[in-house]
Amino acid sequence: MPTDSDAKQRPRDVPGMLMAVVFIFVAAFALWDTTNMADSDSYVFPSAVAIAMIVFSIALIVWNLIYPSGSNGETMPGASTPRRVALVAAMLISTALMPYLGFLISGVAAFAAIMLIAMYDPWTRYRKIVYPLVCVGVVVGFYTMFAKVLLVPLPAGLLFE
Amino acid sequence: MPGIEHLLEALTPLNIMLALAGVIAGTVIGSLPGLTATMAVAVLVPITFTMAPASALILMGAIYTGAIYGGAYAAILLNTPGTPSAIATTFDGFPMAKRGDGDLAVTLACLASVAGGLVGAVFLLILAPPLASVALAFGPVEYFWLAVFGLTLISALSEGNLLKGLIGACFGLLLSCVGIAEISADVRFNFGSQTLLGGIETVTALIGLYCVPVLIDLVATPDKHLKVTHEPRGFRLREALRISWKGKFNLARSSVIGTLVGILPGAGGSIAGLVAYSEARRSSNRTEHFGHGEPEGVQATESANNATVGGGFIPTLVLGIPGTPPDAVILGALLIQGVRTGPNLFADEGSIVYTFIYGLFLATILMLPAGLVIGRYAYKTIVTVPKAMLVPTVAFMTMIGTFAIRNNVSDVVIMIVLGVIGWVLNRFGFSPSPIVLGLILGSIAEQGFVQAWTIGAATDDLAAMFFGRPISLAIIALILLALFYPLVRARWLGRRRKVNAD
Repeated sequence: MPTDSDAKQRPRDVPGMLMAVVFIFVAAFALWDTTNMADSDSYVFPSAVAIAMIVFSIALIVWNLIYPSGSNGETMPGASTPRRVALVAAMLISTALMPYLGFLISGVAAFAAIMLIAMYDPWTRYRKIVYPLVCVGVVVGFYTMFAKVLLVPLPAGLLFE
Repeated sequence: MPGIEHLLEALTPLNIMLALAGVIAGTVIGSLPGLTATMAVAVLVPITFTMAPASALILMGAIYTGAIYGGAYAAILLNTPGTPSAIATTFDGFPMAKRGDGDLAVTLACLASVAGGLVGAVFLLILAPPLASVALAFGPVEYFWLAVFGLTLISALSEGNLLKGLIGACFGLLLSCVGIAEISADVRFNFGSQTLLGGIETVTALIGLYCVPVLIDLVATPDKHLKVTHEPRGFRLREALRISWKGKFNLARSSVIGTLVGILPGAGGSIAGLVAYSEARRSSNRTEHFGHGEPEGVQATESANNATVGGGFIPTLVLGIPGTPPDAVILGALLIQGVRTGPNLFADEGSIVYTFIYGLFLATILMLPAGLVIGRYAYKTIVTVPKAMLVPTVAFMTMIGTFAIRNNVSDVVIMIVLGVIGWVLNRFGFSPSPIVLGLILGSIAEQGFVQAWTIGAATDDLAAMFFGRPISLAIIALILLALFYPLVRARWLGRRRKVNAD
């Protein structure tokens, strides 16, 4: 158990407490949803878990108020948030386009976009030639392996059907 | 004890070639996130239909063994378990790779996998019929307590904040409830969405929660993915052998745990790895290093998950009940071959069974050179490929691998969304491991609990159902030991230090 002097030195884990509040809402929402279930076999387990989640979240908040323990969250000073957002957006958009453009084209588009997002080195002539070739090679290689060898029915795309 | 003729039959050039090809194919498939050992075996099963039963079994066993080991590469080098069996390998494997010991971690994983695979095969060879009865002794309530035992690992995974670990595990347990309930078939937590009707696939969640946060952070800075040491260090085999010899008891214990968990139908390599990791951490005198790149952690999980291969074959061959999902595929292939599994299999078709078991030994031994070479290549590729190539390749692999699980675009969306949630939670100090643990153990715990509750209520003796069965009591004792041993040990050490000081 932390001593009083420890508690005075450390800040409160406000982000952790805020997330605990979010988890209380998530659990409450889950509890509310269990009221729509008719069979006790369906709701006993999730409602018990949701109640436990609320109890632990409240305990986390109270514990932090009494014994501030500081945040143990990961931080990366100087990291680029726009690139992070762009990566997630590129993955989501290419996935959304998959049924229309097909896996191959949306895969090449996703690969090229993410390559640009992850690029920190200068675009030399070598890179300008090799990287796009690698992009197409990797996507076509994986596509062939999954679609032709492993027989995974990758989307062909509505535009090409 | 089977005779030498079966050993010689397993050592024909064709069988040796099949075992080597199977191990290589399995390792490569297993190393790709999203492609599990089950998928590796299922995809390659049709090739075996024209083969002799023993050769077919050897090939399938080799693919399975290789795939379980291959999962370690992505776990160590990309923080993404290639197969669910390698979840616990990420805990220490990735931190080892981050500090520049990825090559050592890969070699350690190979040695541990070989050791575990051999122990599993020995149990299969010598103790298959008596051990198969253990599988039958496990009822719903035992599975429930086993899942609870797995959940005690949360204290190990929550990195200094038990409450955050418990909240994360509850979140994972709730995620495991999404979709159609296994017992009552009620639709739960889909909020009207067709996408969530099928639930959240464990592998989808694994890739999302472990791999996407790594990608999000990779693009944020120009820093290298892993620390690179410029002097070539080869396989670091001597160093790995020395560490493995030092951790021989850990290897032996984890292999036995893996075999025993593998015997239990449905439990699988992920639970074996987690239980072995928990035990290794509990009994180690370097407990505080676990989760920060402790080689013992990699040894424990990799030996345990490969031991499940031999362990899983015990109920498959003796009882016709598949111990793990890939065993179910192999069982189907066996039936097509005309091999009838059951208690008389070892007597009636000893030639096939014992040749296969020796073939499993062969495949496991061949995994050492094959695994070391492929592992070295994988490590070199990951550390030398420029970030602008590595990130899109891994991102594309996660997308195509996730899609291939259920041939569903929605799974890819779920994977990305879970990845973002995992990244955000990490910022707030919530580790993804308890969430994954809850997700995996949720369905086992719920099914066991509800079935046991129903039986207990029907027999009007709930207490006896949950607390009156010998195996349940033994698991409960292990749970209490896992929970309170660190406390008791700390007090005991404190008292001893005080006595020494006096």
